[in-house]
Amino acid sequence: MDYFTRALLSPEEWSALWLSLTVATCAAMVALPAGIVVGYALVRFSFRGKWLVEALVSLPLVLPPVVTGYLLLVLFGTHGPIGSVLEQWLGLRVVFTWLAAVLAAMVVSFPLMVRAIRLAFQSVDPRLEMAARSLGAGRVATFFSVSLPLARRGVVAGWMLAFARSLGEFGATIMVAGNIEGHTRTIPLALFTMTTRVGGVGQCWRLVALSVLLACGAMIASEWLERRQTRRESA
Amino acid sequence: MSLLDIQCRHRFPGGFRLEVAFELDRAVTALFGPSGSGKTTTLSVIAGFLAPEQGTVRLEGNTLLDTATGVNVAPQRRRVGVVFQDHLLFPHLNVEKNLRFGQRHRRSRRRSIDLARVVEVLEIGALLGRYPRNLSGGERQRVALGRALLSDPDLLLMDEPLAALDAALKARILAYLQRVVAEWKIPALFVTHSQAEVRRLADWVVVVEEGRVVAAGTPEEALSRPEPLAWRNAMGPVNLLRLEKVESLQGHASGRVGSQRVHLPPMDAPPGSPCFVQFSPTDVTLSRTDVAGLSARNHLAGRIRDVVRLDRAVFVSVDIGQLIWVEVTPEAATELALEPGGKVTCLVKVHSLRLLA
Repeated sequence: MDYFTRALLSPEEWSALWLSLTVATCAAMVALPAGIVVGYALVRFSFRGKWLVEALVSLPLVLPPVVTGYLLLVLFGTHGPIGSVLEQWLGLRVVFTWLAAVLAAMVVSFPLMVRAIRLAFQSVDPRLEMAARSLGAGRVATFFSVSLPLARRGVVAGWMLAFARSLGEFGATIMVAGNIEGHTRTIPLALFTMTTRVGGVGQCWRLVALSVLLACGAMIASEWLERRQTRRESA
Repeated sequence: MSLLDIQCRHRFPGGFRLEVAFELDRAVTALFGPSGSGKTTTLSVIAGFLAPEQGTVRLEGNTLLDTATGVNVAPQRRRVGVVFQDHLLFPHLNVEKNLRFGQRHRRSRRRSIDLARVVEVLEIGALLGRYPRNLSGGERQRVALGRALLSDPDLLLMDEPLAALDAALKARILAYLQRVVAEWKIPALFVTHSQAEVRRLADWVVVVEEGRVVAAGTPEEALSRPEPLAWRNAMGPVNLLRLEKVESLQGHASGRVGSQRVHLPPMDAPPGSPCFVQFSPTDVTLSRTDVAGLSARNHLAGRIRDVVRLDRAVFVSVDIGQLIWVEVTPEAATELALEPGGKVTCLVKVHSLRLLA
């Protein structure tokens, strides 16, 4: 790393930033298809056990993140019901790797994503879907050509919310991914680690500023996307 | 084999019962009745948006719905085009993409309905790049009609195609509808609660009331049943005359029904073209003899075709070259001894006539 970048942030801070961005992006990306499917299904379909799906999706919102992290640790641990299968069949170890940080961020931010997407689909007139069907489009084609484009603002908002929540994820991450520098130490974990060092509190401000910057960036980006959409439609 | 054959029975949670059965063969059929009589629900059953508890729908011999055998063809495979009352254009697509939506998704195509021709007939060429939110009601209606046409349907359903428009626009859209029917000959079923629209556009009418079919036939015969005659308010009986040889001399307009002249309110329609006037049966005075010295300008001689006695009114249909309805009190009907075959003169004031383009 050259002199300039080193002057801006320490290598430890760079690694935390890079890891945070990667983890949050991956978490929001991987969760997005599921978030869209669940959000749409909760709005348009009534099925048996719907309440259970709803409860499960919202649970991480009210559960202490540490508890969520503990449950993930149990499920995905080397001897856990999912972790053992993953290790046996794919040779994949999740806990205490950056994948675990992604997993924790995904689970914790999923309720927020689904909420935004669900609201967006709720505001799509179901009769527009009927109109599309009467014009020859099947269910899937109708979804992709009418429902999803009309809900896209909410979908983007949901993605952004999940991304921002993932950036701030701490409790579940530290349980299931640990606090390993360069592997799972994201900005919040780095901040926490720094404050526990002697005289560390005074050095935190850069990471704090970074967090504020990222949050503002996400907000500005979503605002910009929204405006661009509005301009295009009123053309 | 009829074009469309529908029979269905459905009970809604609120207690409303729909129980309709009818067949269609004609080019343009109106489904006519007061609001809440089940017209739109019937369209939904035909389009496949609502599966009734019991029923069958057959279009050109193909079974679209048969609850007895469990057949229920998905809406996208029914080849039924729908023009919704509030248009339901896709807000995220411009007019051209809205129009092409059906083309893009329809699997097999039979007739060749061409985008350029639809745009020309409906005069929407200037709108192609615009988005629905920037269109007026009449423009939206034309685009919605074009979109349904371009999906190449075997049957066109229209839910109150004119209800949301003001009077001047109504007349224009009506003209577009007539052009579409003449150009592509796609059979159409439209819902309306306006007798004028039925008479103007439909070859056949199915009259529904409280979820049941109370009459069906040509507009002349079906609308002369007691049920539609008894309806009050905006959807009650109206007369619609088609006038030929319209001329306008020094501000005085007139036209002809057969050989009889009808004086009209001032207008600026091109002379020679036909025009329609609408008036209520209560605006007509009946006289056994032609009387002079009256301010009513129009004295139209005719013969009584039919006398329908309702509770508090008597409706007399008079053939003056076209059939018109006259509402009189039961006392007047008795006093004048109005019977089918009798000669009468219908007196109508010029200002009772409402011009339709």
